[in-house]
Amino acid sequence: MVRVMVVDDHPIWREGVARDLAERGLEIVATAPDGAAAVRIAPAARPDVVLMDLQLPELPGAEATARIREALPDTRVLVLSASTEHGDVLGAVRAGASGYLLKSAALDELVDAVTRTAAGHAVFSPGLAGLVLGEYRRLESEGPDEPRLTPRETEVLRLVAKGLTARAIAERLVLSHRTVENHVQNSLRKLQLTNRVELTRYAIERGLDADD
Amino acid sequence: MRRDRAHPHLVPLWRGLVVYRVVALVAAIVNLVRYGDGWARPVLGLLVVAVMAVWTALSSLRYLHRGDPPTAIVDLVVTALATLSTLLVESPEQIAAGDPVITTVWSAGPVLALAVALGWRGGLAGGVVTVGVLFAVRRTLDTDLLYDAQLLLVAGLAVGLAADTMRRSAEQLRTATALEAATAERERLARDIHDGVLQVLALVRRRGDELARHVDADAPAVEIARLAGEQEVALRRLITSAPTPGPDGTVDLGARLATALPARASLAVPAEPVLLPAAVVDELAAVLREGAANARAHAGPGAGLWVLVEDDGAAVTVSLRDDGAGIPEGRLEEAAAEGHLGVAGSMRGRVEGLGGTIALHTAPGEGTEWEITVPRSRHA
Repeated sequence: MVRVMVVDDHPIWREGVARDLAERGLEIVATAPDGAAAVRIAPAARPDVVLMDLQLPELPGAEATARIREALPDTRVLVLSASTEHGDVLGAVRAGASGYLLKSAALDELVDAVTRTAAGHAVFSPGLAGLVLGEYRRLESEGPDEPRLTPRETEVLRLVAKGLTARAIAERLVLSHRTVENHVQNSLRKLQLTNRVELTRYAIERGLDADD
Repeated sequence: MRRDRAHPHLVPLWRGLVVYRVVALVAAIVNLVRYGDGWARPVLGLLVVAVMAVWTALSSLRYLHRGDPPTAIVDLVVTALATLSTLLVESPEQIAAGDPVITTVWSAGPVLALAVALGWRGGLAGGVVTVGVLFAVRRTLDTDLLYDAQLLLVAGLAVGLAADTMRRSAEQLRTATALEAATAERERLARDIHDGVLQVLALVRRRGDELARHVDADAPAVEIARLAGEQEVALRRLITSAPTPGPDGTVDLGARLATALPARASLAVPAEPVLLPAAVVDELAAVLREGAANARAHAGPGAGLWVLVEDDGAAVTVSLRDDGAGIPEGRLEEAAAEGHLGVAGSMRGRVEGLGGTIALHTAPGEGTEWEITVPRSRHA
């Protein structure tokens, strides 16, 4: 059974999501109302997947994501947020979140996303694909040392952003489903910062500092 | 306009005026001591200078507290009368010999006061009246008078312009402060909406999905939940896509599309704003609205709609895709041959007007996909 922890400062939402997921056969091992509590509780609860809101009191979602990933490398973080603050979303992805879903997503989508995250897949919404494409373009203009996308990865991300499913992309590009997944995952992994120093520098540069 | 207090940004000018007035009064008293014995009517002269001293005190208090135009106009009249009294106090011979008028430089006071209260027009008018009064006393256009006239008019104009500038910048400061307050209020509202309303709307939608599994998908409760979901998206876009304009009249295309496109459309944009001239953004938004309306008409209301905005620095590319029935091959050419310009023609025309290109990929069962590219260079 997939072990899930729900982090959200809004009690109605937090309890609602926890109940919905429990009804669908997922095990809710913990809930937390803010980022600092999430970081504290996670080592004891040992969730497979943390459902993380971004605009949290105490500690922002991106920073909480980084700390949880550091303490528990096997725990995956799926961002579930009503926030379309692009910087926040990119910050969480760079901090090690393996996917992003809007709160307006249907329950079926959410259950599917949690299951897939637990299985080690990246959960890519079209909106996130657009942000990641934009981020690589920005990095390209910054210098030759920054990570780049291969032409194939760019092609796959563009199709994700245009709403094609992994299956449809595989069909169109005559690739296996698995290969498409790999391209998506690689595009994310290259963007993720390798250590906390880098993350902190990035957070300060982008104004996503914890003191903000 | 009724004002009970002096304009706060003009207070330094009023203070300067009061200092000038007091110093000028001292000059008039020195003048009285020096020449008063020789005047035709020394007692009257003493009386006039006493009136000037009282008026200096009264008007100064008034300027510091109110700084209103009526006081400056009364000041002009009082000062003119005091200056004209020279005709009675001094003998015609003394005046003709070029002795100073009884008010001396004190007579410039109302010129400066009018300039501060009413701007450069007030300063100029005050200068003209004061020069007229001096001429009425002297009755001759000698170098002294021309020199005084020059100083009075220049002082009135210069101080008036300074007062105008200070008033304008105070106005701008007030507007900026008000705007800042409005923005802060808007941000506070956005946070409240984000924390409460959005979460509940999303949850209503979530519950509706669950309900739809047990009851008829057309049940009113399911419909309500669907509407709540759409409103959540619309509201979220409204509060997060701040329509703040970029530099040089540019606008963020992504923020613009967030409000221009229907809420059910998925919008993928870079994190950095995609800034283009406002006219280009308007035109692109119109093209995409047209494409979205067309997709709704042909692909059906249930079809998905996705928009991707990319910016590689040299050009901006916008893709619009639906997963509807698609357009059969040759259908568009057929329509064009029949003389129907149609949606495709209209969209193409607009994009080409921007110096861009538009391509359509479609096949039956595969939906339609428009790709619009607009070069930056033409609109730099």
